[in-house]
Amino acid sequence: MKIAKGFLLIFVAAALTACNSNDDGVQAGIEIPGITITDDADCCSAEEALNTYNFLQTVQLVPELTTVVDGKYNVYVYTKTGTFHTGYNELYFVSTKKETGNYIKDLTVTSNTPLMYMSKMNKYHSTPVSDKSRIVNYDYLAVKRVWVSFLMNSSENGSWTYSYEVDVLGKSGGVEKKDIVVNALPDGQVWLKSFKVGDDNFFLSLVNPTDWKTGTNDIRAYISKKSDPITTPYALASETFTVDIDPRMPDMGNHTSPNNTPLVKQEDGSYLGTINLTMTGLWRIHLKVKDAEGNVVAGGEDESTLYWDVTI
Amino acid sequence: MLETVLLSFIFLSDTIATSSQNLDEVVVVSHGQGGKRSAKGQVATIDEHLQELNHVELVRRGSYAWEPTVNNMQTERLSTTIDGMKIFYACTDKMDPVTSYVESSNLQSITLNSGLNGNPQATGNIGGALDLRLRKAGFSNSSLNGFGANIGYESNGSVQVYGADAYHSSQRFYANGGAFYRHADNYKAGGSNEVDFSQFQKVNAFVNGGYRVADNDAIETTFIFDRATDVGYPALNMDVAKAEAFITSLSYKHLFQNRQLESWETKVYYNHITHVMDDTKRPDVAIHMDMPGKSWTTGAYSLLSGSIGRHGAQLNIDGYYNRLFADMTMYPGGAAPMYMVTWPDVGTLNMGAALADNIRLGSESFLRLTGKLSWQHQRLNSEEGYKALSVFFPGMKQEYHQITGRIAANYQFSVLNSQFSFGAGWGSRAPTVTEAYGYYLNNTFDQYDYIGNPRLKNESAIELSGNYLLSIHNFQFGIDANAFIFSNYIIGQFENRLSAMTVGAEGVKVYGNIDHATIANASLSAEWKPVKGLRWSAKGTYSIGRDDEGDPLPLIAPLTYQSRLAYTTGNLGLQAEVKGHTRQTKYGKKYGETETAAWTILNLSANYQLSISSYQVTFRAGVENLFDKYYATYADWCNIPQKGRNIYVNFSFVL
Repeated sequence: MKIAKGFLLIFVAAALTACNSNDDGVQAGIEIPGITITDDADCCSAEEALNTYNFLQTVQLVPELTTVVDGKYNVYVYTKTGTFHTGYNELYFVSTKKETGNYIKDLTVTSNTPLMYMSKMNKYHSTPVSDKSRIVNYDYLAVKRVWVSFLMNSSENGSWTYSYEVDVLGKSGGVEKKDIVVNALPDGQVWLKSFKVGDDNFFLSLVNPTDWKTGTNDIRAYISKKSDPITTPYALASETFTVDIDPRMPDMGNHTSPNNTPLVKQEDGSYLGTINLTMTGLWRIHLKVKDAEGNVVAGGEDESTLYWDVTI
Repeated sequence: MLETVLLSFIFLSDTIATSSQNLDEVVVVSHGQGGKRSAKGQVATIDEHLQELNHVELVRRGSYAWEPTVNNMQTERLSTTIDGMKIFYACTDKMDPVTSYVESSNLQSITLNSGLNGNPQATGNIGGALDLRLRKAGFSNSSLNGFGANIGYESNGSVQVYGADAYHSSQRFYANGGAFYRHADNYKAGGSNEVDFSQFQKVNAFVNGGYRVADNDAIETTFIFDRATDVGYPALNMDVAKAEAFITSLSYKHLFQNRQLESWETKVYYNHITHVMDDTKRPDVAIHMDMPGKSWTTGAYSLLSGSIGRHGAQLNIDGYYNRLFADMTMYPGGAAPMYMVTWPDVGTLNMGAALADNIRLGSESFLRLTGKLSWQHQRLNSEEGYKALSVFFPGMKQEYHQITGRIAANYQFSVLNSQFSFGAGWGSRAPTVTEAYGYYLNNTFDQYDYIGNPRLKNESAIELSGNYLLSIHNFQFGIDANAFIFSNYIIGQFENRLSAMTVGAEGVKVYGNIDHATIANASLSAEWKPVKGLRWSAKGTYSIGRDDEGDPLPLIAPLTYQSRLAYTTGNLGLQAEVKGHTRQTKYGKKYGETETAAWTILNLSANYQLSISSYQVTFRAGVENLFDKYYATYADWCNIPQKGRNIYVNFSFVL
């Protein structure tokens, strides 16, 4: 009898204690490779520096864009992969003091200037960019972010250069027309499309779709307007649009998902909506652009090529 | 004698079971005369044995792993246990009803409790509860050893069956075990039309053991390994590469010496199932898919039996934890694979308490009361699956719980030649994992993709039943009827706003509760034994199923009939059987069902038993569908045809 009861008890106990909480790690003193923490007010505290350091472990340095400002400050540029690709790219700027290696909080990116030289036509043009640098996250104040959405990849038809200007602790510096390589995105990824309203050309840049997962996701995009002259980086369009999205799976008989919400302009100038993905794979997101009055100005036709492709 | 008590305990409950028409049993291993069994004897498949039970029909998607229905209700509304153990199928397309994970050689008998009057471990059994009783050698006074073998062959599909088992039994210890192998090629439907992808192969091995730790105490254990490979499903778009189960249990049984308590058995068990679908052998596959599924269950029950005065009571406490996970990866040529979780690793913890009481009211009247209350908790352990389903049910929770219960009463009395029985009950069931959390499960029956609904209410039903048996000398006549009046009946409902996922699917259905539905069954049976050795029996059953709008529910049997003439003389037995059903006029058109035509077939069988010293040899032969009729029953998925003429022979040796 007791054994019988015992069996039941063991079973119940096993069933109820499905998992254990993790052991708390012992808090070690903060040590960051290459950085000496002093009580320099320009720089990060130990905790801020650690957060910044940890963030930088998740991105890759673009070595050709490194420079020195005023002989005292290093400036580094990072991207997710250390390279560039067509469509939306985020660039992370960080400046350190040469003597301590610690990150400087007072950093501003004042110019963000990509330029393409089309060798066959002997013409130059720029591409959509962000208006100003922003802090990436309040946990790492020393990292500033800008973005560039490259219209096309580097090839025998054309090559890219990149220039930037920064302001570090009141001192200016930067790089001028450094050659960079912009890779093509793999098949099944198309993150930049253009449409025309009257004589104006607009560009739809989709933000970081590879972060998406099966389920409900925020979808963010920017709408930029072609500049005149076209060598000036293309700034965000001042017009207000709404973009209806219709995600489809071409490999699954154009299967779609329910409850997607349109991209609507936010205070920061970006467009935000929600996209529901029922599975991983190739999603073709058909776009229908409406102006402020609700008139369809681009996309929406059956054979429209105004779509992004995203493979997750 | 303890051993006889230990042995007869099983049979005692069987005797109770067969005393009422609501309880039915098929005996797999024969102990002399009496008891129903398949004409094919011990080598028959579990499915063929199940066919012998009243109220049971089988949904067929191929020649393997048929899905039993009881009172025209499928797996969702039934409980299937193996010696009281819970086990759950692992295929999102129901290719593997749990009855497919045991073999005939594992079993002593299969009992069916029709309706809400379930065995103590049953939960969610609105339609009925099947319990597959394992075959255990049991203890014996003297040391006994035995050996048995079975060989069978069937002409249609070149079915080969080989089985061997052995036992040892003594006062302190017993063990029995065996192995079974089946192999079948594609079968031919009537008119020699080969049905592609209807092959299968299966191996099964089992061991049971018991050890008596004290005069009145015994420990028993069971291991079953079952593996089917290369199983074709002509009614579906895919086949199965592997369906594998491991089933084990350890129990402790105590017998009481006092008059009131009889026995106390506590069992802990574990089983797991791995199911791997395969479409690589199919021609014209639009997109190749991998669809594996996993199910594992652990649980325990403790059953106390006793008789106090006129009461024969059973008290049972049980609990189990089951996990179900299935996913699907599709490989479009050249493009990135597409992945989704189709069963989001659902963990179900279920605890229940059941009580059954058989009350002898007088010499000719009995009352049986049963009841069970269960509490269930479910959690979606797959974050990805949870988030995917949240697209359709924004704000859904990751954990749910349900309380279900059932209560049933059955009163039986006899007057002169007549026996009357009336029953009433109420019971509820929680939605299954497919119904609550399934994700784009394609159903070839109606060509819709099904999405589960985590916000389903429990389904409940009131059951009313009655039967009458008249016995006059060598003639017996019976009427049996039951009705189930459902509330919140769970069924797939059209969702036009959603787009199908499966290429070629008609659309999407989401499981929902409909306010009410009714299923009712009535049968007439007769048996006549004009002279010794000759027995004629006939049975006809009619069923209806209606949804809340009065439209027919799918998979409800039309008028089915069966008539048998059996003759036994000495060691020879002969039988002729006619069976069929009428045209299915009231089919569930709304639910994608198509009409099934009428059919009738004739089967013949013979068996001969021979005893040479201590050997016993049984020889069986027969022909099914003698006239090679091309037909499909209403329960044949997508109307795949049944076997054409099939000649079988088999031998059973017992040493």
